[in-house]
Amino acid sequence: MDSLIKEFKTAYADQLGNDLAKTLTPDVPNNAAQLLSVWESGNSQSIKDDLKFLFVRDKSARLNMSSDEAVGWQEIYYSYWKALGEILAAEGLRKSRVKTSWTSVYEAWKELTSQIIRGYTNHEFENWTIPCLYIAGKYMRLYAMRADAERGNNGDDMVTNFQDDFDPETEKHKSLEDCARQLNRIFNLCLSDRAPLAESRKWGIYYAINLLFKTYFKLNSAALSKNVLRVLSAGRGDMPDFESFPKSQQVTFKYYEGVLAFLEENYEEAEKHLTLAWLLCHKGATRNMELILTYLIPCHLLTTHTLPSEKLLAPFPRLQALFLKLATAIKKGDLRGFHQALQEGEEEFVKRRIYLTLERGRDIALRNLLRKVFIAGGFLEGAGGEAQVRRTRIPVSEFAAAIRMSGGQDIDTDEVECLLANMIYKNLMKGYIAHERGFVVLSKNGAFPGTGV
Amino acid sequence: MASTSTPKPDEKSSTPADSKPEQSQNNKTAGALEEDDEFEDFPVEDWPAEETEAANQQGNNTSGGTAADHLWEESWDDDDTSDDFSAQLREELKKVDAAKRR
Repeated sequence: MDSLIKEFKTAYADQLGNDLAKTLTPDVPNNAAQLLSVWESGNSQSIKDDLKFLFVRDKSARLNMSSDEAVGWQEIYYSYWKALGEILAAEGLRKSRVKTSWTSVYEAWKELTSQIIRGYTNHEFENWTIPCLYIAGKYMRLYAMRADAERGNNGDDMVTNFQDDFDPETEKHKSLEDCARQLNRIFNLCLSDRAPLAESRKWGIYYAINLLFKTYFKLNSAALSKNVLRVLSAGRGDMPDFESFPKSQQVTFKYYEGVLAFLEENYEEAEKHLTLAWLLCHKGATRNMELILTYLIPCHLLTTHTLPSEKLLAPFPRLQALFLKLATAIKKGDLRGFHQALQEGEEEFVKRRIYLTLERGRDIALRNLLRKVFIAGGFLEGAGGEAQVRRTRIPVSEFAAAIRMSGGQDIDTDEVECLLANMIYKNLMKGYIAHERGFVVLSKNGAFPGTGV
Repeated sequence: MASTSTPKPDEKSSTPADSKPEQSQNNKTAGALEEDDEFEDFPVEDWPAEETEAANQQGNNTSGGTAADHLWEESWDDDDTSDDFSAQLREELKKVDAAKRR
Protein backbone atom coordinates (compact mmCIF):
# COMPACT_ATOMS: atom_id res chain seq x y z
CA MET A 1 0.00 0.00 0.00
CA ASP A 2 2.89 2.34 0.79
CA SER A 3 4.25 2.14 -2.73
CA LEU A 4 0.83 2.78 -4.19
CA ILE A 5 0.41 5.91 -2.13
CA LYS A 6 3.90 6.99 -3.12
CA GLU A 7 2.81 6.79 -6.77
CA PHE A 8 -0.30 8.70 -5.86
CA LYS A 9 1.74 11.45 -4.27
CA THR A 10 4.08 11.81 -7.24
CA ALA A 11 1.13 12.03 -9.64
CA TYR A 12 -0.65 14.43 -7.35
CA ALA A 13 2.34 16.73 -6.96
CA ASP A 14 2.62 17.10 -10.73
CA GLN A 15 -1.16 17.16 -11.26
CA LEU A 16 -1.06 14.26 -13.70
CA GLY A 17 -4.62 12.97 -13.82
CA ASN A 18 -3.90 9.87 -15.88
CA ASP A 19 -1.04 8.78 -13.63
CA LEU A 20 -3.29 9.33 -10.67
CA ALA A 21 -5.99 7.18 -12.19
CA LYS A 22 -3.44 4.47 -12.85
CA THR A 23 -3.04 3.96 -9.11
CA LEU A 24 -6.72 3.00 -9.01
CA THR A 25 -6.65 0.69 -12.04
CA PRO A 26 -7.25 -3.01 -11.35
CA ASP A 27 -5.63 -4.21 -14.56
CA VAL A 28 -5.37 -7.84 -13.50
CA PRO A 29 -4.08 -9.37 -16.78
CA ASN A 30 -1.08 -7.05 -16.88
CA ASN A 31 -0.50 -6.30 -13.26
CA ALA A 32 -1.56 -9.26 -11.15
CA ALA A 33 1.53 -9.50 -8.97
CA GLN A 34 1.56 -5.87 -8.00
CA LEU A 35 -2.14 -5.79 -7.25
CA LEU A 36 -1.77 -8.87 -5.12
CA SER A 37 1.03 -7.30 -3.11
CA VAL A 38 -1.13 -4.24 -2.48
CA TRP A 39 -3.92 -6.47 -1.24
CA GLU A 40 -1.59 -8.51 0.94
CA SER A 41 0.04 -5.49 2.52
CA GLY A 42 -2.31 -5.58 5.49
CA ASN A 43 -5.65 -6.45 6.96
CA SER A 44 -8.68 -4.25 7.13
CA GLN A 45 -7.68 -2.50 10.35
CA SER A 46 -4.01 -2.03 9.56
CA ILE A 47 -4.79 -0.68 6.09
CA LYS A 48 -7.18 1.80 7.62
CA ASP A 49 -4.49 2.96 10.05
CA ASP A 50 -1.82 3.06 7.36
CA LEU A 51 -3.96 5.21 5.12
CA LYS A 52 -4.80 7.55 7.93
CA PHE A 53 -1.14 7.93 8.68
CA LEU A 54 -0.14 8.39 5.05
CA PHE A 55 -2.79 10.93 4.22
CA VAL A 56 -3.44 12.81 7.43
CA ARG A 57 -0.73 12.39 10.06
CA ASP A 58 2.43 12.14 7.99
CA LYS A 59 3.49 15.76 8.08
CA SER A 60 6.81 15.10 6.36
CA ALA A 61 5.12 14.20 3.06
CA ARG A 62 2.41 16.81 3.25
CA LEU A 63 0.95 17.51 -0.13
CA ASN A 64 -0.56 20.76 -1.08
CA MET A 65 -4.03 19.60 -0.16
CA SER A 66 -6.55 20.49 2.49
CA SER A 67 -7.10 18.02 5.29
CA ASP A 68 -10.65 17.70 4.04
CA GLU A 69 -9.44 16.56 0.64
CA ALA A 70 -6.92 14.22 2.25
CA VAL A 71 -9.75 12.48 4.09
CA GLY A 72 -11.53 12.02 0.78
CA TRP A 73 -8.53 10.28 -0.79
CA GLN A 74 -7.96 8.20 2.30
CA GLU A 75 -11.48 6.82 2.01
CA ILE A 76 -11.08 6.17 -1.69
CA TYR A 77 -7.97 4.07 -1.22
CA TYR A 78 -9.61 2.13 1.55
CA SER A 79 -12.55 1.30 -0.73
CA TYR A 80 -10.13 0.48 -3.50
CA TRP A 81 -8.25 -1.94 -1.26
CA LYS A 82 -11.49 -3.68 -0.31
CA ALA A 83 -12.61 -3.90 -3.94
CA LEU A 84 -9.22 -5.28 -4.87
CA GLY A 85 -9.75 -8.12 -2.42
CA GLU A 86 -12.99 -9.08 -4.13
CA ILE A 87 -11.50 -8.76 -7.61
CA LEU A 88 -8.51 -10.94 -6.81
CA ALA A 89 -10.75 -13.50 -5.16
CA ALA A 90 -13.10 -13.58 -8.14
CA GLU A 91 -10.13 -14.05 -10.44
CA GLY A 92 -8.96 -16.91 -8.23
CA LEU A 93 -5.66 -15.21 -7.46
CA ARG A 94 -5.85 -14.97 -3.70
CA LYS A 95 -3.82 -17.52 -1.79
CA SER A 96 -6.61 -18.49 0.52
CA ARG A 97 -9.31 -19.64 -1.85
CA VAL A 98 -12.03 -17.29 -0.78
CA LYS A 99 -15.36 -17.71 -2.49
CA THR A 100 -16.88 -14.62 -3.96
CA SER A 101 -18.93 -13.58 -6.95
CA TRP A 102 -18.71 -10.89 -9.58
CA THR A 103 -21.82 -9.43 -8.02
CA SER A 104 -19.79 -8.77 -4.85
CA VAL A 105 -17.01 -7.33 -6.97
CA TYR A 106 -19.52 -5.04 -8.61
CA GLU A 107 -20.92 -3.92 -5.27
CA ALA A 108 -17.45 -3.22 -3.87
CA TRP A 109 -16.47 -1.28 -6.95
CA LYS A 110 -19.69 0.66 -6.86
CA GLU A 111 -18.83 1.68 -3.32
CA LEU A 112 -15.47 2.94 -4.56
CA THR A 113 -17.21 4.87 -7.33
CA SER A 114 -19.50 6.51 -4.80
CA GLN A 115 -16.48 7.50 -2.74
CA ILE A 116 -14.88 9.09 -5.77
CA ILE A 117 -18.07 10.97 -6.62
CA ARG A 118 -18.19 12.14 -3.02
CA GLY A 119 -14.65 13.42 -3.47
CA TYR A 120 -15.99 15.99 -5.90
CA THR A 121 -19.17 16.86 -4.06
CA ASN A 122 -17.74 16.91 -0.49
CA HIS A 123 -13.97 16.94 -0.56
CA GLU A 124 -12.99 19.68 -3.01
CA PHE A 125 -11.36 17.43 -5.62
CA GLU A 126 -10.09 19.44 -8.57
CA ASN A 127 -11.01 18.80 -12.17
CA TRP A 128 -7.61 17.53 -13.30
CA THR A 129 -8.30 14.40 -11.26
CA ILE A 130 -11.31 13.34 -13.37
CA PRO A 131 -9.49 10.41 -15.01
CA CYS A 132 -10.22 8.73 -11.64
CA LEU A 133 -13.90 9.02 -12.48
CA TYR A 134 -13.23 7.50 -15.89
CA ILE A 135 -11.52 4.47 -14.39
CA ALA A 136 -14.29 4.08 -11.84
CA GLY A 137 -16.99 4.16 -14.52
CA LYS A 138 -15.10 1.99 -16.98
CA TYR A 139 -14.48 -0.87 -14.58
CA MET A 140 -17.88 -0.56 -12.92
CA ARG A 141 -19.51 -1.33 -16.27
CA LEU A 142 -17.22 -4.27 -16.93
CA TYR A 143 -17.89 -5.77 -13.50
CA ALA A 144 -21.63 -5.22 -13.86
CA MET A 145 -21.62 -7.19 -17.11
CA ARG A 146 -19.59 -9.99 -15.60
CA ALA A 147 -21.92 -10.09 -12.61
CA ASP A 148 -24.97 -10.37 -14.86
CA ALA A 149 -23.32 -13.05 -16.98
CA GLU A 150 -22.26 -15.05 -13.94
CA ARG A 151 -25.71 -15.00 -12.38
CA GLY A 152 -27.16 -15.96 -15.72
CA ASN A 153 -24.86 -18.97 -15.97
CA ASN A 154 -25.51 -20.11 -12.42
CA GLY A 155 -29.24 -19.63 -12.71
CA ASP A 156 -29.16 -17.95 -9.30
CA ASP A 157 -32.00 -15.61 -10.04
CA MET A 158 -34.33 -18.39 -11.03
CA VAL A 159 -34.19 -19.89 -7.57
CA THR A 160 -34.22 -16.86 -5.38
CA ASN A 161 -36.49 -14.44 -7.13
CA PHE A 162 -39.80 -16.09 -7.77
CA GLN A 163 -41.94 -13.17 -6.84
CA ASP A 164 -45.09 -11.93 -8.50
CA ASP A 165 -43.39 -9.07 -10.27
CA PHE A 166 -40.50 -11.22 -11.44
CA ASP A 167 -39.33 -10.03 -14.83
CA PRO A 168 -36.60 -12.23 -16.33
CA GLU A 169 -35.44 -9.50 -18.71
CA THR A 170 -34.75 -7.00 -15.95
CA GLU A 171 -33.23 -9.68 -13.77
CA LYS A 172 -30.84 -10.59 -16.53
CA HIS A 173 -29.35 -7.11 -16.50
CA LYS A 174 -29.85 -6.25 -12.87
CA SER A 175 -26.30 -5.11 -12.23
CA LEU A 176 -25.98 -3.29 -15.53
CA GLU A 177 -29.23 -1.43 -14.95
CA ASP A 178 -27.92 -0.36 -11.60
CA CYS A 179 -24.62 0.56 -13.21
CA ALA A 180 -26.48 2.82 -15.65
CA ARG A 181 -27.88 4.75 -12.70
CA GLN A 182 -24.40 5.16 -11.21
CA LEU A 183 -22.99 6.30 -14.55
CA ASN A 184 -25.78 8.82 -14.73
CA ARG A 185 -24.58 10.22 -11.42
CA ILE A 186 -21.13 10.68 -12.97
CA PHE A 187 -22.71 12.31 -16.02
CA ASN A 188 -24.62 14.75 -13.85
CA LEU A 189 -21.60 15.41 -11.68
CA CYS A 190 -19.76 16.58 -14.79
CA LEU A 191 -22.69 18.37 -16.36
CA SER A 192 -23.72 20.39 -13.34
CA ASP A 193 -20.31 21.85 -12.53
CA ARG A 194 -20.58 25.61 -12.53
CA ALA A 195 -16.86 26.33 -12.20
CA PRO A 196 -15.12 28.28 -15.00
CA LEU A 197 -14.29 26.03 -17.94
CA ALA A 198 -10.60 25.74 -17.17
CA GLU A 199 -11.40 24.18 -13.83
CA SER A 200 -14.63 22.50 -14.80
CA ARG A 201 -15.59 18.86 -14.61
CA LYS A 202 -17.42 19.46 -17.88
CA TRP A 203 -14.27 18.10 -19.48
CA GLY A 204 -15.42 14.71 -18.29
CA ILE A 205 -18.77 14.90 -20.00
CA TYR A 206 -18.03 12.99 -23.19
CA TYR A 207 -16.24 10.18 -21.43
CA ALA A 208 -19.25 9.79 -19.16
CA ILE A 209 -21.70 9.97 -22.06
CA ASN A 210 -19.80 7.35 -24.04
CA LEU A 211 -19.95 4.97 -21.10
CA LEU A 212 -23.68 5.62 -20.82
CA PHE A 213 -24.19 5.00 -24.54
CA LYS A 214 -22.38 1.67 -24.36
CA THR A 215 -24.44 0.70 -21.36
CA TYR A 216 -27.78 1.76 -22.82
CA PHE A 217 -27.04 -0.05 -26.07
CA LYS A 218 -26.34 -3.23 -24.12
CA LEU A 219 -29.62 -2.71 -22.33
CA ASN A 220 -31.31 -2.17 -25.68
CA SER A 221 -32.52 1.22 -24.67
CA ALA A 222 -31.78 3.68 -27.43
CA ALA A 223 -34.48 5.98 -26.03
CA LEU A 224 -32.44 6.63 -22.90
CA SER A 225 -29.47 7.53 -25.08
CA LYS A 226 -31.62 10.07 -26.85
CA ASN A 227 -32.40 11.57 -23.46
CA VAL A 228 -28.72 12.06 -22.81
CA LEU A 229 -28.37 13.84 -26.14
CA ARG A 230 -31.28 16.10 -25.31
CA VAL A 231 -29.79 17.06 -21.95
CA LEU A 232 -26.46 17.66 -23.64
CA SER A 233 -27.82 19.90 -26.36
CA ALA A 234 -29.72 21.92 -23.77
CA GLY A 235 -26.46 22.63 -21.97
CA ARG A 236 -24.24 22.90 -25.00
CA GLY A 237 -23.93 26.68 -24.75
CA ASP A 238 -21.52 26.60 -21.84
CA MET A 239 -19.65 23.46 -22.81
CA PRO A 240 -16.04 23.37 -24.06
CA ASP A 241 -15.73 23.03 -27.85
CA PHE A 242 -16.28 19.50 -29.03
CA GLU A 243 -13.06 19.65 -31.07
CA SER A 244 -10.98 20.26 -27.97
CA PHE A 245 -11.81 16.84 -26.48
CA PRO A 246 -9.46 13.90 -27.10
CA LYS A 247 -10.14 12.19 -30.42
CA SER A 248 -10.93 8.86 -28.79
CA GLN A 249 -13.87 10.55 -27.07
CA GLN A 250 -14.93 12.47 -30.17
CA VAL A 251 -14.95 9.38 -32.39
CA THR A 252 -16.81 7.21 -29.89
CA PHE A 253 -19.40 9.90 -29.32
CA LYS A 254 -19.92 10.52 -33.02
CA TYR A 255 -20.28 6.79 -33.67
CA TYR A 256 -23.09 6.44 -31.15
CA GLU A 257 -24.72 9.71 -32.16
CA GLY A 258 -24.65 8.48 -35.75
CA VAL A 259 -26.06 5.06 -34.94
CA LEU A 260 -28.86 6.67 -32.92
CA ALA A 261 -29.83 8.88 -35.86
CA PHE A 262 -29.59 5.81 -38.08
CA LEU A 263 -32.00 3.86 -35.90
CA GLU A 264 -34.45 6.74 -36.18
CA GLU A 265 -34.07 6.54 -39.96
CA ASN A 266 -32.63 10.01 -40.00
CA TYR A 267 -30.04 8.98 -42.55
CA GLU A 268 -28.66 12.35 -43.51
CA GLU A 269 -27.94 13.22 -39.92
CA ALA A 270 -26.49 9.76 -39.36
CA GLU A 271 -24.23 10.10 -42.37
CA LYS A 272 -22.88 13.41 -41.07
CA HIS A 273 -21.94 12.00 -37.67
CA LEU A 274 -20.60 8.70 -38.96
CA THR A 275 -18.49 10.38 -41.62
CA LEU A 276 -16.89 12.54 -38.97
CA ALA A 277 -16.26 9.51 -36.77
CA TRP A 278 -14.74 7.70 -39.72
CA LEU A 279 -12.40 10.52 -40.72
CA LEU A 280 -11.21 11.18 -37.17
CA CYS A 281 -10.80 7.53 -36.28
CA HIS A 282 -7.31 6.26 -35.70
CA LYS A 283 -6.20 4.62 -38.93
CA GLY A 284 -5.09 1.48 -37.10
CA ALA A 285 -8.37 0.90 -35.26
CA THR A 286 -9.70 -1.65 -37.72
CA ARG A 287 -12.57 -3.02 -35.66
CA ASN A 288 -13.93 0.42 -34.84
CA MET A 289 -13.59 1.48 -38.45
CA GLU A 290 -15.51 -1.63 -39.41
CA LEU A 291 -18.29 -0.72 -37.00
CA ILE A 292 -18.52 2.82 -38.30
CA LEU A 293 -18.69 1.61 -41.90
CA THR A 294 -21.33 -1.00 -41.08
CA TYR A 295 -23.73 1.89 -40.64
CA LEU A 296 -22.14 4.42 -42.96
CA ILE A 297 -22.43 2.14 -46.00
CA PRO A 298 -26.24 1.74 -45.76
CA CYS A 299 -26.46 5.50 -45.16
CA HIS A 300 -24.59 6.23 -48.35
CA LEU A 301 -26.78 3.84 -50.26
CA LEU A 302 -29.90 5.75 -49.26
CA THR A 303 -28.69 9.34 -49.22
CA THR A 304 -26.37 9.60 -52.20
CA HIS A 305 -27.05 6.21 -53.81
CA THR A 306 -23.37 5.37 -53.75
CA LEU A 307 -21.70 2.08 -52.96
CA PRO A 308 -18.39 1.27 -51.29
CA SER A 309 -15.57 0.69 -53.76
CA GLU A 310 -13.35 -2.36 -53.68
CA LYS A 311 -10.60 -0.16 -52.35
CA LEU A 312 -12.71 0.94 -49.42
CA LEU A 313 -13.63 -2.61 -48.49
CA ALA A 314 -10.20 -4.11 -49.13
CA PRO A 315 -8.94 -3.92 -45.51
CA PHE A 316 -12.20 -5.28 -44.10
CA PRO A 317 -12.96 -8.90 -45.01
CA ARG A 318 -15.94 -8.88 -42.68
CA LEU A 319 -17.51 -5.94 -44.47
CA GLN A 320 -16.84 -7.61 -47.80
CA ALA A 321 -18.75 -10.64 -46.66
CA LEU A 322 -21.52 -8.38 -45.42
CA PHE A 323 -21.97 -6.05 -48.37
CA LEU A 324 -20.17 -7.18 -51.51
CA LYS A 325 -22.85 -9.46 -52.92
CA LEU A 326 -25.55 -6.94 -52.25
CA ALA A 327 -23.57 -4.14 -53.86
CA THR A 328 -22.85 -6.19 -56.97
CA ALA A 329 -26.53 -7.06 -57.37
CA ILE A 330 -27.57 -3.43 -56.99
CA LYS A 331 -25.05 -2.34 -59.57
CA LYS A 332 -26.14 -4.90 -62.09
CA GLY A 333 -29.79 -4.26 -61.50
CA ASP A 334 -30.03 -7.92 -60.61
CA LEU A 335 -33.25 -8.28 -58.66
CA ARG A 336 -32.92 -11.97 -57.99
CA GLY A 337 -29.32 -11.55 -56.88
CA PHE A 338 -30.38 -8.76 -54.59
CA HIS A 339 -33.08 -10.90 -53.05
CA GLN A 340 -30.66 -13.75 -52.53
CA ALA A 341 -27.97 -11.57 -50.98
CA LEU A 342 -30.52 -10.04 -48.63
CA GLN A 343 -31.76 -13.46 -47.60
CA GLU A 344 -28.32 -14.91 -47.11
CA GLY A 345 -27.28 -12.03 -44.92
CA GLU A 346 -30.60 -11.67 -43.16
CA GLU A 347 -29.56 -12.93 -39.74
CA GLU A 348 -26.49 -10.73 -39.65
CA PHE A 349 -28.30 -7.70 -41.07
CA VAL A 350 -31.08 -7.99 -38.53
CA LYS A 351 -28.56 -8.31 -35.71
CA ARG A 352 -26.81 -5.18 -36.89
CA ARG A 353 -30.16 -3.43 -37.30
CA ILE A 354 -29.44 -2.59 -40.92
CA TYR A 355 -31.83 -5.01 -42.60
CA LEU A 356 -34.69 -2.60 -43.18
CA THR A 357 -32.33 0.05 -44.49
CA LEU A 358 -30.62 -2.31 -46.88
CA GLU A 359 -33.97 -3.60 -48.06
CA ARG A 360 -34.61 -0.15 -49.43
CA GLY A 361 -31.64 -0.72 -51.72
CA ARG A 362 -34.00 -2.78 -53.87
CA ASP A 363 -35.31 0.50 -55.28
CA ILE A 364 -31.81 1.35 -56.43
CA ALA A 365 -31.37 -2.06 -58.01
CA LEU A 366 -34.69 -1.63 -59.82
CA ARG A 367 -33.76 1.88 -60.90
CA ASN A 368 -30.55 0.54 -62.40
CA LEU A 369 -32.45 -2.16 -64.24
CA LEU A 370 -34.98 0.28 -65.68
CA ARG A 371 -32.15 2.57 -66.63
CA LYS A 372 -30.62 -0.26 -68.62
CA VAL A 373 -33.88 -0.72 -70.50
CA PHE A 374 -33.84 2.96 -71.30
CA ILE A 375 -30.26 2.81 -72.56
CA ALA A 376 -30.91 -0.37 -74.54
CA GLY A 377 -33.71 1.51 -76.27
CA GLY A 378 -31.04 3.50 -78.08
CA PHE A 379 -31.49 6.74 -79.96
CA LEU A 380 -34.20 8.11 -82.21
CA GLU A 381 -33.39 7.99 -85.91
CA GLY A 382 -33.40 10.89 -88.28
CA ALA A 383 -32.07 13.58 -86.02
CA GLY A 384 -28.88 13.82 -88.06
CA GLY A 385 -26.44 16.57 -87.28
CA GLU A 386 -27.97 17.54 -83.99
CA ALA A 387 -27.25 15.93 -80.69
CA GLN A 388 -28.72 12.48 -80.54
CA VAL A 389 -31.97 12.06 -78.70
CA ARG A 390 -32.77 8.95 -76.79
CA ARG A 391 -36.02 7.11 -77.31
CA THR A 392 -38.18 8.28 -74.43
CA ARG A 393 -41.39 6.37 -75.14
CA ILE A 394 -40.84 2.95 -73.74
CA PRO A 395 -43.49 0.23 -73.85
CA VAL A 396 -44.40 -1.07 -70.41
CA SER A 397 -43.91 -4.55 -71.85
CA GLU A 398 -40.18 -3.86 -72.19
CA PHE A 399 -39.89 -2.93 -68.55
CA ALA A 400 -42.00 -5.94 -67.67
CA ALA A 401 -39.74 -8.24 -69.65
CA ALA A 402 -36.67 -6.84 -67.96
CA ILE A 403 -38.15 -7.22 -64.50
CA ARG A 404 -39.21 -10.75 -65.32
CA MET A 405 -35.75 -11.56 -66.61
CA SER A 406 -33.93 -10.05 -63.68
CA GLY A 407 -36.30 -11.22 -60.99
CA GLY A 408 -36.61 -14.72 -62.36
CA GLN A 409 -40.34 -14.88 -61.85
CA ASP A 410 -43.49 -13.86 -63.63
CA ILE A 411 -45.10 -10.53 -62.92
CA ASP A 412 -48.26 -9.06 -64.40
CA THR A 413 -48.50 -5.69 -66.10
CA ASP A 414 -50.45 -4.01 -63.32
CA GLU A 415 -47.76 -4.87 -60.87
CA VAL A 416 -45.10 -3.55 -63.20
CA GLU A 417 -46.98 -0.29 -63.59
CA CYS A 418 -47.22 -0.08 -59.85
CA LEU A 419 -43.45 -0.49 -59.51
CA LEU A 420 -42.89 2.15 -62.18
CA ALA A 421 -45.27 4.58 -60.49
CA ASN A 422 -43.33 4.04 -57.30
CA MET A 423 -40.07 4.84 -59.02
CA ILE A 424 -41.55 8.06 -60.37
CA TYR A 425 -42.98 8.94 -56.99
CA LYS A 426 -39.59 8.47 -55.33
CA ASN A 427 -38.00 10.64 -57.99
CA LEU A 428 -35.73 7.83 -59.08
CA MET A 429 -37.24 8.07 -62.55
CA LYS A 430 -38.82 11.07 -64.28
CA GLY A 431 -41.78 10.71 -66.57
CA TYR A 432 -45.35 9.47 -66.64
CA ILE A 433 -47.22 6.31 -67.45
CA ALA A 434 -49.62 6.42 -70.37
CA HIS A 435 -51.69 3.60 -69.01
CA GLU A 436 -54.24 3.35 -71.84
CA ARG A 437 -51.58 3.14 -74.50
CA GLY A 438 -49.29 0.91 -72.50
CA PHE A 439 -46.11 2.88 -72.50
CA VAL A 440 -44.05 5.15 -70.33
CA VAL A 441 -42.99 8.61 -71.44
CA LEU A 442 -39.69 9.48 -69.85
CA SER A 443 -38.27 12.94 -69.40
CA LYS A 444 -35.99 14.05 -72.24
CA ASN A 445 -33.52 15.61 -69.86
CA GLY A 446 -32.62 13.43 -66.96
CA ALA A 447 -34.97 10.45 -67.10
CA PHE A 448 -33.00 8.91 -64.25
CA PRO A 449 -31.93 11.86 -62.11
CA GLY A 450 -28.33 11.96 -61.06
CA THR A 451 -27.21 9.09 -63.25
CA GLY A 452 -26.14 10.98 -66.34
CA VAL A 453 -29.07 9.98 -68.57
CA MET B 1 -28.54 -21.92 -19.16
CA ALA B 2 -25.43 -23.67 -20.43
CA SER B 3 -25.88 -27.38 -20.60
CA THR B 4 -23.18 -29.38 -18.90
CA SER B 5 -22.75 -31.91 -21.70
CA THR B 6 -21.56 -29.38 -24.28
CA PRO B 7 -18.89 -27.20 -22.75
CA LYS B 8 -18.49 -23.89 -24.49
CA PRO B 9 -15.00 -22.62 -25.12
CA ASP B 10 -15.37 -19.63 -22.83
CA GLU B 11 -16.85 -21.56 -19.98
CA LYS B 12 -13.63 -22.92 -18.69
CA SER B 13 -11.63 -19.76 -18.64
CA SER B 14 -14.34 -17.83 -16.84
CA THR B 15 -14.32 -20.17 -13.88
CA PRO B 16 -12.50 -18.19 -11.26
CA ALA B 17 -10.68 -21.22 -9.83
CA ASP B 18 -8.39 -21.90 -12.78
CA SER B 19 -8.02 -18.50 -14.31
CA LYS B 20 -4.41 -17.48 -14.71
CA PRO B 21 -3.17 -14.34 -16.38
CA GLU B 22 -2.70 -16.05 -19.73
CA GLN B 23 -6.15 -17.46 -19.56
CA SER B 24 -7.73 -14.11 -18.95
CA GLN B 25 -5.86 -13.11 -22.05
CA ASN B 26 -7.66 -15.88 -23.93
CA ASN B 27 -10.82 -14.69 -22.40
CA LYS B 28 -10.19 -11.30 -23.83
CA THR B 29 -9.71 -12.50 -27.39
CA ALA B 30 -12.79 -14.66 -27.13
CA GLY B 31 -14.67 -11.54 -26.10
CA ALA B 32 -13.33 -9.64 -29.08
CA LEU B 33 -14.40 -12.32 -31.51
CA GLU B 34 -17.85 -12.37 -30.08
CA GLU B 35 -20.18 -10.62 -32.47
CA ASP B 36 -20.94 -7.40 -30.77
CA ASP B 37 -21.26 -3.89 -32.07
CA GLU B 38 -19.86 -2.26 -29.00
CA PHE B 39 -17.31 0.35 -29.88
CA GLU B 40 -13.90 -0.63 -28.60
CA ASP B 41 -11.74 1.47 -26.33
CA PHE B 42 -8.87 3.01 -28.22
CA PRO B 43 -5.42 2.07 -26.91
CA VAL B 44 -4.51 5.75 -26.77
CA GLU B 45 -6.60 8.69 -25.70
CA ASP B 46 -5.68 11.13 -28.42
CA TRP B 47 -3.71 11.19 -31.65
CA PRO B 48 -2.41 13.80 -34.07
CA ALA B 49 -4.20 14.60 -37.31
CA GLU B 50 -1.60 12.62 -39.27
CA GLU B 51 -2.78 9.41 -37.69
CA THR B 52 -6.44 9.81 -38.54
CA GLU B 53 -8.20 7.91 -41.28
CA ALA B 54 -8.66 11.21 -43.13
CA ALA B 55 -4.89 11.68 -43.37
CA ASN B 56 -4.53 8.04 -44.33
CA GLN B 57 -6.90 8.53 -47.25
CA GLN B 58 -5.10 11.66 -48.38
CA GLY B 59 -1.79 9.83 -48.26
CA ASN B 60 -2.97 6.95 -50.40
CA ASN B 61 -4.53 9.20 -52.90
CA THR B 62 -1.96 10.08 -55.50
CA SER B 63 -4.11 10.95 -58.47
CA GLY B 64 -5.58 14.19 -57.15
CA GLY B 65 -9.21 14.88 -56.45
CA THR B 66 -10.76 14.30 -53.08
CA ALA B 67 -10.02 11.09 -51.29
CA ALA B 68 -13.66 10.12 -50.98
CA ASP B 69 -13.93 9.88 -54.77
CA HIS B 70 -12.07 6.63 -54.78
CA LEU B 71 -13.85 5.06 -51.90
CA TRP B 72 -17.46 5.49 -52.94
CA GLU B 73 -18.66 4.75 -56.40
CA GLU B 74 -21.85 5.23 -58.30
CA SER B 75 -24.45 2.57 -57.79
CA TRP B 76 -24.99 1.77 -61.44
CA ASP B 77 -22.78 0.08 -63.91
CA ASP B 78 -22.43 1.41 -67.42
CA ASP B 79 -19.52 -0.46 -68.77
CA ASP B 80 -20.85 -3.93 -68.21
CA THR B 81 -22.03 -5.40 -71.48
CA SER B 82 -25.01 -3.23 -72.15
CA ASP B 83 -25.21 -4.93 -75.53
CA ASP B 84 -25.62 -8.33 -73.98
CA PHE B 85 -28.39 -6.97 -71.91
CA SER B 86 -30.22 -5.45 -74.86
CA ALA B 87 -29.82 -8.64 -76.85
CA GLN B 88 -31.19 -10.62 -73.94
CA LEU B 89 -34.01 -8.13 -73.53
CA ARG B 90 -34.93 -8.42 -77.21
CA GLU B 91 -35.00 -12.20 -76.88
CA GLU B 92 -37.27 -11.87 -73.91
CA LEU B 93 -39.58 -9.50 -75.76
CA LYS B 94 -39.78 -11.86 -78.73
CA LYS B 95 -40.84 -14.62 -76.39
CA VAL B 96 -43.54 -12.38 -74.95
CA ASP B 97 -44.74 -11.52 -78.44
CA ALA B 98 -44.74 -15.12 -79.53
CA ALA B 99 -46.73 -16.10 -76.49
CA LYS B 100 -49.29 -13.41 -77.29
CA ARG B 101 -49.73 -14.51 -80.89
CA ARG B 102 -50.36 -18.07 -79.97
